[in-house]
Amino acid sequence: MLALIYFIILAVIALGAAVCVFLSRHPLYGALSLVTSMVALAGIYGLVGSPFLGVIQIMVYAGAIMMLVTFVIMVLNGARDSKTPMFDKVSLFVLPAVLLLAGVVGFAFVRAPLAFDATALRGSVSLTSETLFNMAQGGPGYFLLFEVLGLLLLSAMVAAVLLAKKRLGTVESENTEESH
Amino acid sequence: MDIIESKTWIEWVITIAKFAFCFVPVLYILLLIPMERRGAGFMQDRQGPNRSYIKIPYFGKIRLFGYVQNMCDGTKLFFKEQFAPSGVNKILFRVAPAIPFAIVFLSPCVIPWFGPMVFEWGGQTVRIAGSIVDSDVGVLLLFGFSSLSAFGAVLAGWASKSKYSFLGALRTSAMTISYEVCLGLSLMGLLLLVGSFNLTDIVYWQEHHVWGIVAQPVAFFCFLIASIAETGRAPFDVAEGEPELVAGYHTEYGAMQFGLFYMGEYSHICINSFLIATLFLGGYSVPFVTTETMQAHMGGSLAVLCGILAFLGLAFLHMIYRYSRKLKATTLSNRFEILREYSLYKIVAWVAVAVFVILGVAAWFFYNPANFVVNGVAVGSLATAIGTALIHLLVLVVKSVFFCWVWIWVRWTLPRFRYDHVMHLGWKIILNIALINLVVTAVIAKLVGGN
Repeated sequence: MLALIYFIILAVIALGAAVCVFLSRHPLYGALSLVTSMVALAGIYGLVGSPFLGVIQIMVYAGAIMMLVTFVIMVLNGARDSKTPMFDKVSLFVLPAVLLLAGVVGFAFVRAPLAFDATALRGSVSLTSETLFNMAQGGPGYFLLFEVLGLLLLSAMVAAVLLAKKRLGTVESENTEESH
Repeated sequence: MDIIESKTWIEWVITIAKFAFCFVPVLYILLLIPMERRGAGFMQDRQGPNRSYIKIPYFGKIRLFGYVQNMCDGTKLFFKEQFAPSGVNKILFRVAPAIPFAIVFLSPCVIPWFGPMVFEWGGQTVRIAGSIVDSDVGVLLLFGFSSLSAFGAVLAGWASKSKYSFLGALRTSAMTISYEVCLGLSLMGLLLLVGSFNLTDIVYWQEHHVWGIVAQPVAFFCFLIASIAETGRAPFDVAEGEPELVAGYHTEYGAMQFGLFYMGEYSHICINSFLIATLFLGGYSVPFVTTETMQAHMGGSLAVLCGILAFLGLAFLHMIYRYSRKLKATTLSNRFEILREYSLYKIVAWVAVAVFVILGVAAWFFYNPANFVVNGVAVGSLATAIGTALIHLLVLVVKSVFFCWVWIWVRWTLPRFRYDHVMHLGWKIILNIALINLVVTAVIAKLVGGN
């Protein structure tokens, strides 16, 4: 009962903030709404017995990544985007797609047997580590996949650096580098 | 409701009373600001602000060693007009100072203030954790909160619509992200040895093996530097560097809105000192004495504690008497006034010493609660548990106050770094040392411990 009340409060905050991400014109407000949504989502993770996931959500997404996003918005002077219209031609495709996806997910959730036990731990530290590192018989041992995923992210970062380097290599930027 | 019936009333009382610890960082502000000012004076060979006074009958002007000055400053901040320059973003400008200050109330919830209280009540063994939230993910929760608190500075800088504030905010966000990485990584070696994120477990491990500072000396210094940078104090206060940025992200703030930033900064120091004391200095554990020994000789432990407090009172008295003697030899025009003021301190200190001595003797003779061992765990009465908790709490406070002093010490000793030096130190030096430390610790732990 108590868990349900908490869940409703957190879900309303998370969904409301997520809607605000779409409705806010200024990118910084959008980023802040996203932070709020993420923190509320972390609360829900904690509520369903995955405190580890919730805390990682706050630390990595709300704390570090959104901080970088606000940094970029502030540096790039996002205030120019305030005049972008909220709906344009692309929305004709995006909106039905989003609604369709929401419908499918909602249908799946309604049909699925949701036996929910709030006391069960689903994502505690020990459980997560067992899922990752248990290489014994029958253990999943996901950490190799995890490392490969890290490699993928690294390659994405290298590509981004290369792209940025290309732009840096143009005549104007080289001139400024020499003048230092 | 069954949630209420799941615990006895004494458990509920203690569990709810533990929420009072949320106010510890705010109380520490009262301690830290005079400490900072008089400490700065001590470092620079001057007096520090000590001229404000309260006038009371007979004893005259009471200055409380400069403490009254801080009351005056606080009163001034509270009653100043809240002012916002035109052109600021109204909502964010008002919300921003509240963010770091709100986080201050959340952060203390995972720090274990005393060892788990295990006692016999109503025929069953009761166990109450020393932290408000005894979570599996304790340290991580604290890091998460401290990374969120940087949003306050960032939003303040952006909402002010001023170039200086904006640059300060950019520097804060960059520096916070950089040093958070160092902070987390330098800690990993210790967590590897303990095998838990839970702060109570970490303290328990230190109590039964060795303190974190001995097991992980490199990590300790990395962590200390990174957490000083995290609080944004000198030598890392590039975000508010006066020579370049006026006052950084809080340039446009005044009155209590500035006060909230100021208090947020000091509370952050408090939280970080508690964290370092917990992680590397054995937390609430008393050096060389295990909790079990202490509980077996409860009266004696309390007597020793009272003895130490009485000794501190005597040291204070010694200081006062020496001052008085020096003052009598001079020809200062106000020396009789000051001597009159000192007589109040003498009375208070003598009374305190007497009370502590009496309490200590009484504890030695009359406070010997019975202890039992149930399933290998020492289980005492409620009285033993509360006595242990009291000693633990005082020990933790002493350790954290020492680290608060380290913060002030560093601030008034080192000059401010240049911004690129800060980044260089963070990414190229501390991060690499922390990584190497982690790898070496992992290899040694695998070879020696085999876990």
